[in-house]
Amino acid sequence: MKYYKFIAVIFLFPTAVFSQNATISGYIKDADSKEALIGATIYETKLKKGSSANEYGFYSFTVPTSDTLDVIVSYIGYKPQAKKIIIKENTRLDVLLVSSSLLNEVEIIATKNDDNVNKAQVGVIDVPMREIKNLPVLAGERDILKVIQLLPGVQQAQEGTTGFFVRGGNIDQNLVQLDEAVVYNPNHLFGLFSTFNVNAINNVQLIKGGFPAKYGGRLSSILDITMKDGNKEKYQVEGGIGLLSSNLTVQGPIIKNKASFIISARRSYIDLLLKPFIPKNNAGTTYWFYDVNAKVNIELGKNDKLILSAFNGKDNAAYTGANSLNYGINLGNSTATLRWNHLFGSKMFANTSLIFNEYHLGLSTTQGKYYSLLYTGVKDVNGKTDFTYIPNTKHIIKFGATYFYHTLYPASFSAKIPKKGNKVTINKDSIPQLYSNEMALYANHEWNMTEKLGLNYGVRLPYYFTAQKAYLLFEPRITFKVSINKTTSLKASYTVMNQFLHLVPNSTASLPTDIWIPSSALVKPQNSQQYSLGLFKNFKENSVETSVEVYYKSMKNQVLFKEGTQLTLVSNIEDALTFGNGTSYGVELFVKKNIGKLTGWISYTLSKTDQTFSELNYGKTFPFTYDRRHNLAIAATYDLTKRWTLSADFVFHTGNAFTMPTGLIPVTGDGSLYDGYYYDYSSRNNARLGVYHRLDISVSYKKERKFFKWKYESELVFGAYNVYSRKNPYFVYLTVDPASGQRKAVQVSLLPIIPSISYNFKF
Amino acid sequence: MKQLFFLLSITITLFFSSCQKDIVVPQPPYDSRVSIQGSMEPDSIPVIFFNKTVPYFSNSTNTGELVIRSATIKITSSSTTDILTLDSALNRVNCKYIYFYKGTLPIQWNTTYTLSIISGAETYTATTTTAISPVIVDNVSYTSTFKDIYGEHEGVIVYFNDVPSQTNYYRYELLRPVDANTKYREAPLVNPCLGSDTIMVTELGRSVYNDQNVDGQQIKIVVEPAYSHRQGLVCYVRMETIDKATYDFFDQLDKQKLSQLNPFVEPVFLKDGQFGKKAVGFFGCKTRSAKVQFIYPE
Repeated sequence: MKYYKFIAVIFLFPTAVFSQNATISGYIKDADSKEALIGATIYETKLKKGSSANEYGFYSFTVPTSDTLDVIVSYIGYKPQAKKIIIKENTRLDVLLVSSSLLNEVEIIATKNDDNVNKAQVGVIDVPMREIKNLPVLAGERDILKVIQLLPGVQQAQEGTTGFFVRGGNIDQNLVQLDEAVVYNPNHLFGLFSTFNVNAINNVQLIKGGFPAKYGGRLSSILDITMKDGNKEKYQVEGGIGLLSSNLTVQGPIIKNKASFIISARRSYIDLLLKPFIPKNNAGTTYWFYDVNAKVNIELGKNDKLILSAFNGKDNAAYTGANSLNYGINLGNSTATLRWNHLFGSKMFANTSLIFNEYHLGLSTTQGKYYSLLYTGVKDVNGKTDFTYIPNTKHIIKFGATYFYHTLYPASFSAKIPKKGNKVTINKDSIPQLYSNEMALYANHEWNMTEKLGLNYGVRLPYYFTAQKAYLLFEPRITFKVSINKTTSLKASYTVMNQFLHLVPNSTASLPTDIWIPSSALVKPQNSQQYSLGLFKNFKENSVETSVEVYYKSMKNQVLFKEGTQLTLVSNIEDALTFGNGTSYGVELFVKKNIGKLTGWISYTLSKTDQTFSELNYGKTFPFTYDRRHNLAIAATYDLTKRWTLSADFVFHTGNAFTMPTGLIPVTGDGSLYDGYYYDYSSRNNARLGVYHRLDISVSYKKERKFFKWKYESELVFGAYNVYSRKNPYFVYLTVDPASGQRKAVQVSLLPIIPSISYNFKF
Repeated sequence: MKQLFFLLSITITLFFSSCQKDIVVPQPPYDSRVSIQGSMEPDSIPVIFFNKTVPYFSNSTNTGELVIRSATIKITSSSTTDILTLDSALNRVNCKYIYFYKGTLPIQWNTTYTLSIISGAETYTATTTTAISPVIVDNVSYTSTFKDIYGEHEGVIVYFNDVPSQTNYYRYELLRPVDANTKYREAPLVNPCLGSDTIMVTELGRSVYNDQNVDGQQIKIVVEPAYSHRQGLVCYVRMETIDKATYDFFDQLDKQKLSQLNPFVEPVFLKDGQFGKKAVGFFGCKTRSAKVQFIYPE
């Protein structure tokens, strides 16, 4: 009890320490579209105090009443605004910033905010939309997740895919949120593209350590993606025509300056283009995907806003080739979010959300004489409410509650193709549904103690229960900042995270045959403790950011399949699982240039991740599959002229670990079917694929054009993925040469050089 | 337009074409050890297979290269010592010689035997007691479509009664004729060793069974035939009763074999058995039921 009293005291303390103050609050928005400018800063030059806009563009800033204030509002890529204001009482000040792209100036000197140095946060990266829009990617498709993979501490999964691993955590340990709704599989085309349509996105933030208490439910990272609200001023149409897919976005006011909408859709046409190339005996081969984002945003008054957003994406693919690998895949994500923003006065911001999301993956694969079926589905109903209270410039208090009702329905099966009769099929309606409840309360206090010291601490109390088992857990979070000088700081953080849903990875198949299962009496929640320490330094008025971060993460209750697992429809998946622990530690270097003709970053990660399972690898520690010692990424965009832009990225990393037999054991019984060679394994993940490196480039040409009476911005983008066509290792399989009888290893490479051309327009 | 179509064609072709090449994977360090297999059957002469294991990419994988020829192998009981000598036999199904150490004294029932192998500086020992009882096969039949957890397949159905009040382990045997027209994994057994002869082979079931939860009850097993068959083919079925060491070893082999064949099954590491880390294998015992005739109905 004393413990909870102590927590209450330290969170309520800041409310008692202010008086004779007035608060300026409001929204910072784009002047043209009225989109919220997330992370825009408002700064008072004499008091040297400031605030930044939250994920809805809201800020609050309390100062002594008698002062005349010189305020500068700025956001990267926008012209800064200076305002002189006299504050006698609480004041509402909405600020509209003008984008540099609308001005005829060569360069806007807009300083980037220095949150990376001066905020008590560590492991947080705001992913610049400019880089997302410019960096070259596969087949001309702009992609958020491909850019995420270039950040320090983040590792790309397989060649070409959008899957990512953060600080040694498995892929399921990343919480990917679109407008607060969980997206369980943010991939199209086996992960070659992400499900997020860049034209509909406003902001992307990655958190990989020092997690605020607001976030929970995953161990390794939070990828928070915010959709655009829709232009409140005028109608706008933009789109892109690519080689494999095209997209169209329409946005505009429903009621000018009061309500807006945005709808964005993308559809691939690979199925249509491939048709002429597919032999008649492969007539079943097809592939298509689509995704649709929609959002309606209504201001109900000065203090209330209602936001309804929805997303639906689907993939359908079938390959019925004559060779030994056939597959059929059907996956889809749907989300719907209804949010209500409310301002309680000028200091308290609240958001209440009701969220629904659904994910399913159905996969059938035939490889040689064996086939595999998989169905994994997740449905969530989620309600949450979050409050932000800003009593003064020294304190930001966030608290809230969340509740999830999870329904999971996993099934997996593999067997030899029967000589006679039918194969087994999975009827999704007959899969037993697994229900669970996840709720959490949290409170977080960001405290600028002095000019030099900052503290961000909080606690999250998750409570998870099913009909059979309940878990009440405690997650302390703390980040401490010491400013060495105005541009340099040292930060340290400690976080505890728990995760109640698990994606069990299959270590053998090259296709995504992983299934989601909930925690239960047997399957305990995954747990991590992460320590990180970072030195942050900005140069040239924050135009160049640098950082060095070291981290150590321990992970408990990790889940893998037992050796020899062959799931059947009647087997209990939990019986096939084995549990263990993991550790990951490393150092991450990051240099980023935000402003100027040349922008981009260099990131390098040196890390080591391993796992220990008592029932695997003779109980000895073994490397994680995606344990990569070195990971280097360089991303750069250069404005050659006002119209021409050159972009490139280069990645280099150590190859994945895989399990290879080291010896052959002859079994020569009595001429029986047992006779043959069996494998002697020295250890799990004992071999490495070759190193991976790749250079991608793109050149874009922008020009204003006319279509009848309408002016529009056009952009022609030429690009090439894997410019020097390196045959990077995708996976290795072992076989016997039929002619010589020699055992050999065969490396499969996936993507050679892929040229692309795409055309984008914006009315 | 033509240029755009050309670019499209190139992109799609590149996009959907993966390439593969043979690579040299550095052989992870491997300390060769030995493989020992011996199943003592009452009234039979003891046979021990003693081979060395080799690195995965080794060229030396012929049975003649793998057998360890200079070992001293003894099987002793309280009253006898049998010194085994190296022998070989031609396996006419795969046209390869198999090498083994063979004794001279028949194994006795309910007797404890100790295996001792001295090879170079190493000594390998293990013990087994031949106190196992044969079962009686009640009935053998056939089904063309048997559905189990692994799907649908044909199968030979065997009914037998478990020996009550003890833990038992079993394995299936089918003694049957094969010739050059018989197919294994859809390939005919054509080879110069077999020629045009018809020979008898023992088709050993790959799975092993235990009597967990069915102690003393009638047990039914369904085994998918390995070789092709025709209507009227006369075969003989026997059930082996095996000891725990034999069961554990073959159960692991079965699971690993499945993981080698089925790309969706997790890999299986062979665990240390009676010989610790120095050797893989087993020294166990078995007994067999009386033969029961079975005629394939199709």
